[in-house]
Amino acid sequence: MKRLMLVIMLVMSTIGLEWIEDKELNVCFADASQSLRVLTTTSDLKSITEEIGGKYVQVTSICAGNQDPHFAEAKPSIIVNARKADLLVVIGLELEVGYEPLIIEGARNAKIKPGADGYLDVSDGVLLRELPTGKVDRSMGDVHPFGNPHYWLDPYNARIMSQNISNRLQKIDPTRSADYQANYQAFIKKIDEAMFGAEATAKIGGDKLWEQEISGKLDEFIKGQEVQLGGWIEKARPLRGLKIVIFHRSWTYFTNRFGLSTTGEIEPKPGIPPGPGHLKDLIQKMKSENARIILMETFYDRKSSDFVANQTGASVAICALSVGGKAEVNDYISLIDHLINHLLKLGGK
Amino acid sequence: MRYIIILLYLFLLPALVLGQQAQKQGYFNPDISVIADTFYQSDNSKDGMANILSNVSGFNHPLNAEFGPDNGFNMNELEIFISANVDAYFKGWAIPVLEPDGAEMEEAVIQTTGLPYGLQLKAGKFFSDFGRVNPQHLHAWDFSDLPLIYRLTLGVEAEGLNDNGLQVSWLAPTDYYILTGLEMLQGNNELMFNYVGEDPLPEKAGPRLFIGWVKFAPNLSNPQHALQLGISGASGIHQEILDNDADGTDDQWLSGINQFWGLDFVYKYDSLKSYGQGKWVVQGEYLNFHRNLEVEQDTLTPLSVGKNRKDTQDGFYLQATYGFLPRWRLGLRYDQVGLINQMELPSGLIESPDASNRITAMTDWSLTEFSRIRFQFSQGNYELAGRDEKVSQVFLNMVISLGAHGAHKF
Repeated sequence: MKRLMLVIMLVMSTIGLEWIEDKELNVCFADASQSLRVLTTTSDLKSITEEIGGKYVQVTSICAGNQDPHFAEAKPSIIVNARKADLLVVIGLELEVGYEPLIIEGARNAKIKPGADGYLDVSDGVLLRELPTGKVDRSMGDVHPFGNPHYWLDPYNARIMSQNISNRLQKIDPTRSADYQANYQAFIKKIDEAMFGAEATAKIGGDKLWEQEISGKLDEFIKGQEVQLGGWIEKARPLRGLKIVIFHRSWTYFTNRFGLSTTGEIEPKPGIPPGPGHLKDLIQKMKSENARIILMETFYDRKSSDFVANQTGASVAICALSVGGKAEVNDYISLIDHLINHLLKLGGK
Repeated sequence: MRYIIILLYLFLLPALVLGQQAQKQGYFNPDISVIADTFYQSDNSKDGMANILSNVSGFNHPLNAEFGPDNGFNMNELEIFISANVDAYFKGWAIPVLEPDGAEMEEAVIQTTGLPYGLQLKAGKFFSDFGRVNPQHLHAWDFSDLPLIYRLTLGVEAEGLNDNGLQVSWLAPTDYYILTGLEMLQGNNELMFNYVGEDPLPEKAGPRLFIGWVKFAPNLSNPQHALQLGISGASGIHQEILDNDADGTDDQWLSGINQFWGLDFVYKYDSLKSYGQGKWVVQGEYLNFHRNLEVEQDTLTPLSVGKNRKDTQDGFYLQATYGFLPRWRLGLRYDQVGLINQMELPSGLIESPDASNRITAMTDWSLTEFSRIRFQFSQGNYELAGRDEKVSQVFLNMVISLGAHGAHKF
C-alpha cells in the first residue's frame, strides 16, 4: 500500500511539475534564434504554413503529396518529429482519424494534444460541402459525418486555412506576430490575384470579390464595374458546365468552385471499390451525358478508370490532389494552376 | 511555493473539468467497438492440433492440450473495446472478451496522457510490450494463428504475456526513435510464469515478473521505408506441478526462475498507393528462454528433491506480407522452434530433441477497413515424443469490426 501511495504521489508531482515547465516553455518562444517546429498531416498544410511562418518555422509533413491522406502510418520517424513539435496542424473532419490519434498518443508531447495551443484543426470556419443529413452508417462507405474533408482544393478555403494558421502562429509565438500577419496578408493577396487577376484584386479588393463569388453574383457584379476579371476564374471559364467523372469525392470543392459538373464517381460509395454493375451504369450515363474526362488521384488503382475510359472514349486525367503530387506542383498556387491547365488541355470548349 | 501551486492545480483543475462535463453530457460517451473473430479450420493430424501442440518435444506442456481448434467452425472471440479519456491526465480502456468457454477481462488499463519528459505510466491488466506479436490483439495478427514459438511458450491463443501490473515507458528526446519500458507484473502466465504458492511450493509476494524492452528505429532517408528493431527480456518466478507417470495424481513440485529474451524487427515499404497496394511488411522475431527450477518435492523419486531442472530452448519466425492488389495481401511465414533444445533433468540426464518447423502461406482480402477474410494453409513438421508428424492445416478466417475502433500501432 505504501508503495502504491508513493507511485501515485510521484505521478501527481510530475504532472504538477510539467505545468510549471509549460509556463517556462512559453517564455522560451521569445528567444528569437529559435524556429518553431511544425508538423502537418498533409503537404498542402506544410506549404501554407511555410508561406506564413517564413523563416521562423521548420515544417514536416506526414503525408507525401502523392499519398492518400486518409491512410498514413504512425511511423516511428513521425513520432520522433511529433515529440519535438511546437505545433501540429491537421485538416480535421476525421480525414486523419486513422493515424492522428496514434501520433499524438505516441509522441507524449503535451503541447500538441487536442485542446492545447499546439494543436490546430484548420477546418474551423471553412466552407463545407456534402455534410450528411440524417443518419450516417458504414453501409454508405467512408462517409465523413462532419462533411467532405477535401476542402483545400477551394481557394476560398485556402484563405481561411491560412488565416487559422496565421492566428495560431501569432498566439504561440507572439513576438513575431507582425511577421506572421504580414506574410498572411501577402499570401491571401497572392491567392486573390491568382483567382481574380491582379487588376480586379487591386481595384475592388479580394474580400469584396470573394463575397460576390460566394453568393454566386460575381459575374453580375463585375458587369457594373470598369474592370476585367482575370486569373483562374477567367481562365477556367471554358470548364464551366463541363461534365466529368471523378474517382473519389476528393475533387468536389474544386469542381464546385469552377463550375464543373460531376456525372458520377468511379467509386459507387466513398472508399468502396467499383463492381461491374456500377461501372456499366456509369458508362451508360457517361455516354448519354457525353462526359469525356475521368479525373482521378495519383494513388488509386487506375484499372477501373482505364476500363471505363476504354468503353467510352473518355480520357483519364491523373492529377495531383496535393502539393507535391506531381513534379510541377510545388506550392498551393501551382496546385490549382495544374488542375485548371490539365483539364483545359483535355476538355476546354 | 511549488507545492502550493501543485496543490492548487490538483484541486482546481478537476473542478473545472467537472464543470465542463455538466455542459455537454452527450460528448462524454466512450468509444465502443466490437470485434468478432470466427474461423473454419481443418487439419490432417491423427489426434488433433491440440494434441500435437502439447507434445512438441521440449515444449510439451499439458496445458497446451486443452487449447486447439476443432475441425470445422470455431469462434475465436468476441472482443468489446471500450475507451475514453478519463480526465485531463488519464485515458482508459477496457476490453472484455467473450470466448466460447466464458468471459474474461483481456485488458483494463489506465494510462497517463500528460507526463513530461516523454514518460508514460500504464497500470491495470494489459498485454506486455515484450516482443512484436505479444502486444498485438488477435484481430491485428497477419496470420490466423500465432508463430509457433509464441504459441508453445506463452501460448494458449489470445493469452501471451498479459497480466496485472504497472508499466513505465520513456520516449527518448533523440533524433531517432528510442522507446524503452519497464514492467512489473504479477506473474500469471500458466506456461512460463506460473504461480501456485501452496505447500510444498514456496510463497512469493507479487510482483513476480519483471520485463524490460527497447524499440529503436533509425531515420531512413526515404520516408517510404521504415524499420524498427526491438530487444526484450523477461524474468520471473515459475512454479509447476507435474504428473510425470501420468497416473492422475501429481508427483513433482518445481519452483524457480524462468528467463526469456527476444529480438525482433519489422520493415515496412509504403508504395504510397491506396488500400495497401504494393505495400511490403517483413517481420521476424527470435525468442530464447531458459528455465531453472528446483525440485521442491517429488513422490516418485524423492532423491531428486533439491536438484534442478534446467531447460534452454529457442525459436524464431520470419514472415512477409505483400499487397498484390488493392485490399488483397499475400503472406508467407516460416517458423522454427527448438534450434537450441536442451533439457537437463533433475536426474542429471540431458535430452536434446530435434527442432520442429512449419511453413505457412495466407492470402487475405480486406473488403473495407472493417471486414477481412483470410485463407491460410500451413504445413508443419512436428517433432513429437518419439515420432515426428507432418500436419497440414487450413484456416478460413473472418474478422469484422463494428463501431469506432482506434487504428493499430506501427
